[in-house]
Amino acid sequence: MSLLKIDNVSKSYGTKVALDGINLEIEEGRIFGLLGPNGAGKTTLIRIINRILIPTQGQVFFQGHPITAEDVMRIGYLPEERGLYRKMKVGDQAVYFARLKGMSTAQAREALKEWFIRFGIESWWDKKVEELSKGMAQKVQFITTVVHNPKLMILDEPFSGFDPVNVQIIRDEILRLKEQGATIILSTHNMESVEELCDEIALINKSHVVVTGGVDDVRRKYGKNDVQISYSDAGGMHEDIVSLGEDGNPNKVLQDYIAKGVRINSFKELIPRMNDIFIKLVKEG
Amino acid sequence: MDLRTIGVVISREYATRVKKKSFLVTTFLVPVLFAALCCIPALIMLFNKDEQKIIAVVDRSGIVMPALESNKEVQYADCSVYELDSLKAGFSDSIYSAILYVSPLNQEKSVDVSTYSVKPVGVSLLSAIESQVELAVRDYRIEQYDITGLKDILDEVDPIIEVNTFTISEDGEDKISSTGVYMALSLVLGIIIFMFVTMFSSSVMQSVIEEKQSKVVEVLLSSVNSIDLMFGKIIGVALVALTQFLLWIALTTVLVSGVFAVVGKDKLMGSMEESSEVVQQIPGNDPAVAESLAPAPQLSDVQEIMQTLDGIDVPEILLFFFIFFIFGYLLYASMFAAIGSAVENAEDSSQLQMPLTVPLMLAYFIALYSWNAPDSALAVWGSMIPFTSPIVMLARIPFGVPAWQLGLSVGLLVLTFALMAWVSAKIYRVGILTSGKKATWKDLWKWLRQN
Repeated sequence: MSLLKIDNVSKSYGTKVALDGINLEIEEGRIFGLLGPNGAGKTTLIRIINRILIPTQGQVFFQGHPITAEDVMRIGYLPEERGLYRKMKVGDQAVYFARLKGMSTAQAREALKEWFIRFGIESWWDKKVEELSKGMAQKVQFITTVVHNPKLMILDEPFSGFDPVNVQIIRDEILRLKEQGATIILSTHNMESVEELCDEIALINKSHVVVTGGVDDVRRKYGKNDVQISYSDAGGMHEDIVSLGEDGNPNKVLQDYIAKGVRINSFKELIPRMNDIFIKLVKEG
Repeated sequence: MDLRTIGVVISREYATRVKKKSFLVTTFLVPVLFAALCCIPALIMLFNKDEQKIIAVVDRSGIVMPALESNKEVQYADCSVYELDSLKAGFSDSIYSAILYVSPLNQEKSVDVSTYSVKPVGVSLLSAIESQVELAVRDYRIEQYDITGLKDILDEVDPIIEVNTFTISEDGEDKISSTGVYMALSLVLGIIIFMFVTMFSSSVMQSVIEEKQSKVVEVLLSSVNSIDLMFGKIIGVALVALTQFLLWIALTTVLVSGVFAVVGKDKLMGSMEESSEVVQQIPGNDPAVAESLAPAPQLSDVQEIMQTLDGIDVPEILLFFFIFFIFGYLLYASMFAAIGSAVENAEDSSQLQMPLTVPLMLAYFIALYSWNAPDSALAVWGSMIPFTSPIVMLARIPFGVPAWQLGLSVGLLVLTFALMAWVSAKIYRVGILTSGKKATWKDLWKWLRQN
């Protein structure tokens, strides 16, 4: 059974359609990439999952039942536009968000202390947010998103604003949380991290799901079934790209080259990058 | 509606505000101010009394000095044997606070009077001197007619009339009242409730804008229903206002009774009454005659104020203050919250705020007008229309308002609050998530009808 099922969800504001008949299923324990150009409707979909917005049509199911306010307590949401109370102390603020997610003050303090120690930021507890740098505030916000141990995390551009070292830290945390059984929806424009982290993706463009599936399946699907072969002969090093065509056999290509008497250095299937697929689909759409 | 999360929101709104320095400063300074207002006049009179002023009198007429009566505050010393100039020359080293010079009698059987002093002579002392000199000259003139008993006849002819005002309470008992006290009370209540409603409801708006501007609201809404968030905030701020008000009452009471305990209440009250007796004599007539003529016991101004204050039903006024503050605040705070949700920053809010600030200001001006005419049509209508009633009604209450008017006014206010809360919540829900362009009243109308 899927953890989250989005069943024919549409949302319109007056005459403006933001989402049109979205169907998605997100399996438990996966990292699901939610992709799409700006204004495609991703934020609207995320808000509907969080019950911030009510869909005009359709329904969201959480663990098989229509999603309730209680289920939302088990979601952690990191919005793209980060926001903390500037004048409030970091610790008080983190406790507040955790309490809103159903933790008691004592539970929240205990869990937060653990996270603060893990990130090495215990000394920030009594600082006001306005004293923190942008990256520091992002870290605090990441903690407030995950502190209540949510079953589902919705991370909208979690790496923006971080330096490479901190990107690595956050990436490791995401993978660690996945290992512990959390399901993660990752919305990002960074296709490299999609390839690296996501198990499945959905690409939304102009209010519709354009493509969805496993990352490798999607990449293969949009590949032209080309192979890249590099070889050397008397004339030096060469590189060819050979199209296999419909159900072509790579073995045959290899045999052809071997028959030519060249020395083969490498031979690999050419899979398009997610970035290229994204650009292609959005431009076509 | 989730009571637990509303509770969490309320506690944050409350705690962050109560911990602010500005809250602590106003909460603890205002009672000091109130207490000072209550006690300082009495204290000044108390301490002034100890210091008896000695006035050197140079009487060239020969009729004024015998008529001058020394009392606890002023002692007149006959210095007629000295020249005015020599007194003036040695004045700074002398014990005298002033020199009173009375010229010889002129042809109109009158005198010219001058005072000389380093510090200006106080108004009350000056008028006391004036009336005593007038009395002396008057008596001298009467004597000049050489008619036996003329002085007594004239004293009898002079009427002394003082209007004592009473208000008749419902049980038929009459209470001594001073209209001035009611006016002052009405003014103070009107201004305080206006300040409270304006201050705390715009605090709600600023806080809504802050959450929207800093984008905190997106995270909040993933845990709290927008309506819960809005009302949690409104209730949190209301509790701050009530805390502040109760602390003001408690601290003022403590401070005033502290001063009373240290100085002694009887002494304080006594000092006020005694000094007002001196004032009483100023009209210039023999107090004994005045007493025999006046039909009612004469009250000094201070006694009158004290008695009027005693007669005011403080619990009733406080009760209505709470009712009208709470519902007036709730009405305005929910509308201000809706406005706050519609704008991107505080600067943009002024235009949308206009329709709310105009009735508030209107109410304020009607309240200021009410202490002059509490039962005028303007004041009565102002105290019925829900957008002005909290402020205007409070200004009317000290003068007494019929129960049916109070009931009707509260009823209308509560109904309007319920309606506007519903409208505001609908606008807030959409507005808080809308960003980008500046909202207009047309947008708000559109949001209201949106599901």
